[in-house]
Amino acid sequence: MHEIGVREVVHFAGLTFNWETLVMTWITMAIVILIAVLATRSLKMVPSGWQNVVEMVITGLHSQIDVTMGKRGRMLAPLIITLFLFLLISNWLGLVPTMASPTNDLNTTLGLALLIIVMVHFLGLYFKGGHYIAHFFQPVPVFVIINAIEEVAKPITLAFRLFGNILAGEILIIILLKLMPIWMPIPSVIWLAFSIFIGGVQAFIFTMLSMAYLSNAVKDEHEE
Amino acid sequence: MIEINATIIAQVLNFLILVVILRAVAYKPVVNMLKAREDKIAESIDKADADRAAAAAALRQNQEKLAAAQRKAQEIIDKAEKLAREEHETSIQETKREIEQMKKAAQEEIQRERARAVEQLRGEVVALSMAAAGKIITKNIDAADNEALIGEFIEKLDKEKIGDLPC
Repeated sequence: MHEIGVREVVHFAGLTFNWETLVMTWITMAIVILIAVLATRSLKMVPSGWQNVVEMVITGLHSQIDVTMGKRGRMLAPLIITLFLFLLISNWLGLVPTMASPTNDLNTTLGLALLIIVMVHFLGLYFKGGHYIAHFFQPVPVFVIINAIEEVAKPITLAFRLFGNILAGEILIIILLKLMPIWMPIPSVIWLAFSIFIGGVQAFIFTMLSMAYLSNAVKDEHEE
Repeated sequence: MIEINATIIAQVLNFLILVVILRAVAYKPVVNMLKAREDKIAESIDKADADRAAAAAALRQNQEKLAAAQRKAQEIIDKAEKLAREEHETSIQETKREIEQMKKAAQEEIQRERARAVEQLRGEVVALSMAAAGKIITKNIDAADNEALIGEFIEKLDKEKIGDLPC
């Protein structure tokens, strides 16, 4: 196992990369793609087995997007599905011995959070134009300060919530294994089970908050 | 421990690549399939409606045809019955007429027989009367008176007794 907090780095083209994070990300991507391919391998007109589950997930997501984002939201569905799957597998990957979660690196979580927030502002400007900028100054112009803090806080909270939860979980797994005698694995197992739960919950929260932020930008007020 | 470096860019790119791949590999096929099924269901429902309408129309047409056929059959039966009745009637008339004819012929025959019998009887009566008269009178009367007497006798016989002649 590695020492906590010390990251193996590689230098490429004058840039520094956390090598372990990249490798784990690629493993996660491979698993996600494998799951997606297996789940949608043989789509039939009359569904059976896993196809029912996949369809249920997608239609459920679509209906929720329709409610929260309106018509434009459909194009974000792949992004949201991918986000959830990627985070879920990432969070759980760290629970496998000798593996680490890509999400225990702030680079991953902050990168995703910034991506979401940049998308929010970009889509907001694209769909609403000046109206989007004006809504930062409502109800009175002074509110722009609070709104700015909120907008800055969004990616930071998104990123640190996920990062902190996953990193803390992995640290505690290592610590428990070191503290407990090898014949007393019960606390470690309990914590592992809890970490599975945490991983699912955090992936869900990150995805849901991203959806909420995106829906604010994409939703057409006149639609209602 | 917490340091932001170029990994953040790599992670964003990794994620975007994953989004693109998943969209192409998994999301699009599922959505297309859902759309195709939706279309198929709508089409099936439309087709079912059209089929039902067509079936109803065909049923109505068939019922009309059946009713017409029944009417026609009834007409034919009525006509045939009428014809049979007429034929029956005419045949009865024919038979009656034949019977009538036969009756008339028989009566004529009877009449003829009777006339002949009367004629025969008259001849015999004449002979008998001649014999009787000859025996009774013998020579008293000549032949002419004799003949007149006999004729008178026979006239009487003809007029009064021939119907219920005691033979």
